[in-house]
Amino acid sequence: MGVVMPLNAETAQARTHQVVNEDSTDIALFVRSSQDDMLGWNRQRIVDALLRETFIDRGTAEKISKDIELTIQAGKVKTITGPLIREMVNAKLLEMGLEEARRMHTRLGVPLYDVDQLLVQHNKENANVPHGPEATNLTLAEGIKKEYALLSVFTPDVADAHLSGDLHLHDLGFIDRPYCSGQSLEYIKKFGLNLPHALSMAKPAKHAEVLLAHMVKFAASLQSHFAGAIGWDAINLFYAPYLEELDDNGVKQLAQMMIYEFSQQAVARGGQAIFSDVNIYWEVPKHFEDVPAIGPGGEYTGKTYREYEKQAQRFAWALFEVYKEGDAAGRPFFFPKPLVHITEKFFKTDGHMDFLHHICEVASVKGNTYFVFDRGDTAKISECCRLSFKLEASDIEDAKQPWKMRYSALQNVTINLPRLAFKAQGDDTKLFALLTEKIQLAAKAHGQKKKFIERLMSLGKGGPLSLLAMDLDGEPYLKLHRCSYLIGMVGLNELIRVHLGQELHDSDASIKFGLKVIAHMNIVCNKLAESMGMKFVLEQTPAESTSFRFAKLDLAHFNAEAEKVVQGNREKGEVYYSNSTLFNVGATMSPIARVEKEGLFHPLIEAGSITHIWLGEAQPDKAALASFVINVFKYTQNDQIAFSPEFTACLECGKTSRGLSETCPYCESKNVDGITRITGYFTKISSWNKGKLGELHDRYRNIDRFNN
Amino acid sequence: MTLFTTDDCVLCAQLKKQFDLPAMEVQVEVLGNNDAGALAHLAWHGLVEKARKGLPILVLDDSSALHEFPHIESHLLDRAARYGCGVTAKRSGKQAGCDSGSCALQ
Repeated sequence: MGVVMPLNAETAQARTHQVVNEDSTDIALFVRSSQDDMLGWNRQRIVDALLRETFIDRGTAEKISKDIELTIQAGKVKTITGPLIREMVNAKLLEMGLEEARRMHTRLGVPLYDVDQLLVQHNKENANVPHGPEATNLTLAEGIKKEYALLSVFTPDVADAHLSGDLHLHDLGFIDRPYCSGQSLEYIKKFGLNLPHALSMAKPAKHAEVLLAHMVKFAASLQSHFAGAIGWDAINLFYAPYLEELDDNGVKQLAQMMIYEFSQQAVARGGQAIFSDVNIYWEVPKHFEDVPAIGPGGEYTGKTYREYEKQAQRFAWALFEVYKEGDAAGRPFFFPKPLVHITEKFFKTDGHMDFLHHICEVASVKGNTYFVFDRGDTAKISECCRLSFKLEASDIEDAKQPWKMRYSALQNVTINLPRLAFKAQGDDTKLFALLTEKIQLAAKAHGQKKKFIERLMSLGKGGPLSLLAMDLDGEPYLKLHRCSYLIGMVGLNELIRVHLGQELHDSDASIKFGLKVIAHMNIVCNKLAESMGMKFVLEQTPAESTSFRFAKLDLAHFNAEAEKVVQGNREKGEVYYSNSTLFNVGATMSPIARVEKEGLFHPLIEAGSITHIWLGEAQPDKAALASFVINVFKYTQNDQIAFSPEFTACLECGKTSRGLSETCPYCESKNVDGITRITGYFTKISSWNKGKLGELHDRYRNIDRFNN
Repeated sequence: MTLFTTDDCVLCAQLKKQFDLPAMEVQVEVLGNNDAGALAHLAWHGLVEKARKGLPILVLDDSSALHEFPHIESHLLDRAARYGCGVTAKRSGKQAGCDSGSCALQ
């Protein structure tokens, strides 16, 4: 049912007079149906909808439809919309105490005013989404799917916990997709680009450029099936068999093509770039050493990957040369994010110090490099803002046939830690009981999303997730039984401040209590994993908008407590909680102390952590950073670090300068935008939400800490 | 001084049987599914990954840590002598093995 066309006044008056005394089916009102058709008024449609969508009996449905008809007649309504009829029916259901039926009969939609606002104003929930028609399509669709998820996928207790801000169900607007995906290039090297519903299929690539084209298209397809990051394992190694015929210029050209392709891609999700990560190794990882290499045409080359070390290194080097140059305006590339694994074997591989200096120079000049620390026998695939999948024995077995290596997290649920401290009022027992309760609720939410995705996957190749159901290697692309379920946290620092009266950086006692909170979360996750047969793991939530949302909601509902601990500028509304287990971003700490102390938490957070070192306008010496990285690897437990410089991009003269300025130092224009890392990726500051702007203002910059 | 153990750990059980640890002022932390305090204490010393590879671990008063069983046993024997505690039970022959993999933080 939809819009009813108004009759002209005279006819309408006559009709109104008539219908009062006529059978309802004779009401000559035309309704635009949801199938884009004009239908005459028919009370029976209300009955049919109620019987189809709810469990109420026919008699009640008939009575409701007659009451609605009388109301319309009595109101002498000239223009009736389908949504209005539904709203009237829903009001009637509520009046009769039929709340569950009302819920089932809900119409999802967006108020006219909201659409008007959305079409004009930039939605800054995700700084990676630009403003434009495709983006507003995304926001509108997301809005409906979000409502659907809260009404239909999750039970009311879970939905209420999200809405009230006890926890945050991430990517509700992408309810029909898993969260993120990490995989190997070997899949398309072996099977070509052979996607369900594609208009054509391509055999395995014979040339490096074609392989790149396949990779980019596959990544775009994957991005439209996952809410978050698309990561690629050991990318330089798996390209290596295609590079033998290329001279150094050719390899550099390929590196440029890859980085520009991913950084300029704007085909997925409302015009945003693919959130892409490339994992890079200087050495050949132990688990790939004896694996037969796949080369051009999807054929085995007769060599193992051990023999491609030099080619892989050439490509890794070239990629970072491109990162160092930046784009045509000298700005850092936002995507793909390069994650370099620092391992025991890295330090035993020839040329590692030269490479370390090279990537540290990029870290200093542009900030792109992520240093991922795999100590001992640890091996992992990293992606997103800090997510990592640690390879278990079965994964190492899969590594013998690397196209089988694909990992996914199905959903991410974050717990509002400061609120637990507000409620516990200093009582440890109560605090841990509340924390357990919220983790259980998060696990319940995961179970409900799993069930929903299983339902979609069960529709197989004819269903909406046909790409994830494709089974070119005998298994569905999405290995549901091996998915992780992420449980995150926001505001450990503020929880400690409420509970102990100090922040994490203030004392050892604060850190120890913080460790106890995270240890408790780790233990409860393990117990639930065992009892529910699902892999629950802790992750440091990136919380780009969640840290803002929780702070805002707590100021509204726990004002007396929250106003004492919320970070940022309350007058400007730029409020936030500290991300995950991070210390206060404004605390004056040496970078090594921050890395060491934040790193104590990382082994308890198995699905990934990071420490940010904000550089501001500083550009440290590459040797100083290299020495720092080595010390972090050897003497701390830290999982991952990134150095974040700041830039000013002039929108008038097009030049890029170091540091954040209100005017361009070259042409003095005020038409500038800042660029730096938001939570785990670089982006323009003009697209940041208010909470992150507050955090940016507070960040302690390590200006003189690296002897530059 | 702290000895990190688990309930299932064969090697840990051997040390608990062999020494009167409380009398030697050795705190015993049992890592398991119920003690966040013990796990947090382990994390404070930066030993979670080490414990995933093997237990027991003995953290000395200067915060250095011993991971190898013979070194731990030897250190505890010295301490027992210093505290005049002696050993509560002699190790029966060979050191217990841990083929099941239970001597690690799960």
